[in-house]
Amino acid sequence: MLEVRDVRKSFDGFMAVNEGNLTVERGKIVAVIGPNGAGKSTLFKLITGHLKPDGGSIRYKGEDIAGLPPYTICRRGISLSFQIVNIFHRLSVFDNVQAAILSRQRKTFNLFTPAARLAREETMRIIDAVGLSDRLDAVSSTLAYGDQKVLEIAIALGNDPELLILDEPTAGMSPEETAATIGLIRRLTREMGLTILFCEHDMELVFAIADEIMVMRQGATIIQGPGEVVRADPDVQEAYLGGGH
Amino acid sequence: MEFAAHVSWEALLQQVLVGLSRTTILFIVASGLSLVLGVLRIPNVFHGSLYMIGAFLAYSVAVSIGGPAGFAVALLAAPLGVALISLIVERGLFCRLYEREHLMLLLFTFAFMLVFADLVKLVWGSDYRSLSLPPMLQGSFTILNLPFPRYNLFLLLVGPVVAFGLWFLTNKTKIGKIARAASVDREMVGAVGINVSWVFAAVFIIGCFLAGLGGALVAPTQNITQGMDHAIIIQAFLIVIIGGLGNIWGALLGALIFGLTDAIGILILPQFAIVFPYAAVVIVLIFRPTGLLKATW
Amino acid sequence: MSKGVFSPKTWLLLAAAVACMAVAPQFLSRFYTYLISLVLVTGLLAMSLNLVLGYGGLYQFHHAVFYGVGAYTFALMRVKTGLPSIWAYLAAPVAALLLSLLIGWICVRLSKLYFGMLQISLGSLVWAIVYRWYSFTGGDDGIHGVPVPEALSSIDNAYYFTSAVTLVCLFLMYLIVNSPFGRVFQATRDNPERSEAIGVNVKRQQLVGLMVAGFFAGVAGSLFVTIEGSVFPDMMFWTLSLEILIMCLLGGWFSFFGPMLGAAIVVVLRTVMGIHTEYWTLILGVMLMLLIFFLPEGVLGYFTARWGSRRRAAMEDL
Repeated sequence: MLEVRDVRKSFDGFMAVNEGNLTVERGKIVAVIGPNGAGKSTLFKLITGHLKPDGGSIRYKGEDIAGLPPYTICRRGISLSFQIVNIFHRLSVFDNVQAAILSRQRKTFNLFTPAARLAREETMRIIDAVGLSDRLDAVSSTLAYGDQKVLEIAIALGNDPELLILDEPTAGMSPEETAATIGLIRRLTREMGLTILFCEHDMELVFAIADEIMVMRQGATIIQGPGEVVRADPDVQEAYLGGGH
Repeated sequence: MEFAAHVSWEALLQQVLVGLSRTTILFIVASGLSLVLGVLRIPNVFHGSLYMIGAFLAYSVAVSIGGPAGFAVALLAAPLGVALISLIVERGLFCRLYEREHLMLLLFTFAFMLVFADLVKLVWGSDYRSLSLPPMLQGSFTILNLPFPRYNLFLLLVGPVVAFGLWFLTNKTKIGKIARAASVDREMVGAVGINVSWVFAAVFIIGCFLAGLGGALVAPTQNITQGMDHAIIIQAFLIVIIGGLGNIWGALLGALIFGLTDAIGILILPQFAIVFPYAAVVIVLIFRPTGLLKATW
Repeated sequence: MSKGVFSPKTWLLLAAAVACMAVAPQFLSRFYTYLISLVLVTGLLAMSLNLVLGYGGLYQFHHAVFYGVGAYTFALMRVKTGLPSIWAYLAAPVAALLLSLLIGWICVRLSKLYFGMLQISLGSLVWAIVYRWYSFTGGDDGIHGVPVPEALSSIDNAYYFTSAVTLVCLFLMYLIVNSPFGRVFQATRDNPERSEAIGVNVKRQQLVGLMVAGFFAGVAGSLFVTIEGSVFPDMMFWTLSLEILIMCLLGGWFSFFGPMLGAAIVVVLRTVMGIHTEYWTLILGVMLMLLIFFLPEGVLGYFTARWGSRRRAAMEDL
């Protein structure tokens, strides 16, 4: 479904991503791991169009998407949930999610219909699925950090994506919140048939739910494969896991 | 509408020289604005008021002392008076607002412009004033068979002096270097132990001094009126914008463009002369929206 | 959350307000009727600015240009052509709309501050042209004695017309702000990057927003000429643009009616102060300073914050 080949990106001479390689098959959960600064977030931003690659190819469902603007890539079916909480802080929880749905429904230039009437069911479905129904009308900036991260994911879901990309979805969360998020991710693949690509530092989480793991170091892909294969690989052990798991 | 029928080389040259002397004043005012904008990030609309106050102050000082000495003293006293006002304003109020958004700062300085517009009306009344030049600077030289006012030549000499002074200040003095560093990274400079607050105050005062100087210099060349603040500030801002925010050389470049297009406009299409500089600004910004030279941000 | 545009209670309040406005001229002297007309026009202008400022987060520093263009278009159509006035009323907002399309298209490529600065330069260019084109626009004198339609020449009738048009515009603005476009527009204010990530073409949204704002500013311009009978270049001078910004700030730019309230305060104070002193500008400046220091969310913003926290506290008790 998603094929990234030899992608490169440098900032003022610093090579953030050098040999980025990634394959994501439909319906799978793929994790990207690597030490800080390995280039994971940059890779995600290249895939979703927030950055333009200097070289290499990014193909989604057979079509080249490298360098397209973010809103075009989003409309093709890829949705990104950001690492740093990136929500619409003055809008309510409901409005946050609804905005994504309205965008997908191509209603963004509808000037005269009261928005409160539109897309209520779809919005509520997502909000219920992520567990924020009791805070529907709360202004999103007043939510606790963990809830804001969940809202992040909810917004990304609003686009009804085929491929959902999550950049460190449990960063900064408590163990209970992390567990809830893991459950959510599992449900999303099973019930909604999503393909999920995420990156994380929590190794337990990664090995628990990922079908395949891609390891990055200093901007390059070292290996991609199922959990046991990756764990056993000597390069990975040396670079990252440092002595087995 | 009238086109000037025949434009001779001499007339063009003369207009260019006149334009250049106007450039001096524009540069002095714009450089002060650019300095404050670049280091303090304040879009200081109040700068125009200080220019106007400089002109009125120069008038009062020159008239009360009288004679050529009066004018000379006025040229120094007016900017200093303006600098004093700006010191009070900065220490009293501005320094509390540095962390706010641009828009708030802009509106705050606009508030000062409103207040001082009426204060000037209170002190000097609503009539306009005229300041005449001392005999030494009156009259004109004859260059290439055309009259060239002596005062314009004076301005053409003052311009580079101020430019050099500014360059020296920002590049060669300790305070200039600190100011430049602070404009890039306020926190780092503070962390190193330098009292950023006083540096900012100094920069602000220097910028306002320049506004007052510009006003004092322009005083003998036109009527000193109430609307001077409005008229100059939009021009100064546009010059700063096309030159590159915070860039002093950009201010010079911008002032040149502004002054010269104005002068040429007078030759070609006198009724619409003021349109030329605005049009030039628009053209520059469409192709280089961040300004011709690098901004300090 | 209500299903309709307004709740029944709101409809009732609105009906009461409209009724009050309808009978007002019977009880008020002509001066006050004129004053209310002026407040409504200025309020409409301020609210049109807030569409892009408060709801869109755009630094619209020279909104007055669209107001002035609307006013001049109306005046010129009345003075230079023999067409019936309806054409002038239609042409004014359309002209402002087209200008905002042009200026907007040039400016939305840039972000925040640069957007504002380019707009100021474009607006000043328009002003300069109008200011000097004596033969066409009357130059710095402006145009006086614009023929207003017979039916609207009395102050009372002008008031009815103005308030009717203003109410319709306010209703439309309310719909727009609460429409999908309005929601997404606010999203682009809060987080342009995230908006792109959810499939929104931010630049196009902003351009449409600017056009809508320009349209209503043009309407305000035509209304102004209706009640004043003249138009002058000051209407598109940057000081007016900043004054409108102040009105939005004063009333509260994150609330719907804030700018109208701000305009009302400024216009009324200006008129009242103008009777007693010629130093109104000073007072306005001091007010603005106090506002920035103590009430950055404006009058309405301050009150809704207090009411909002009280309501939240009450809900937590439940």
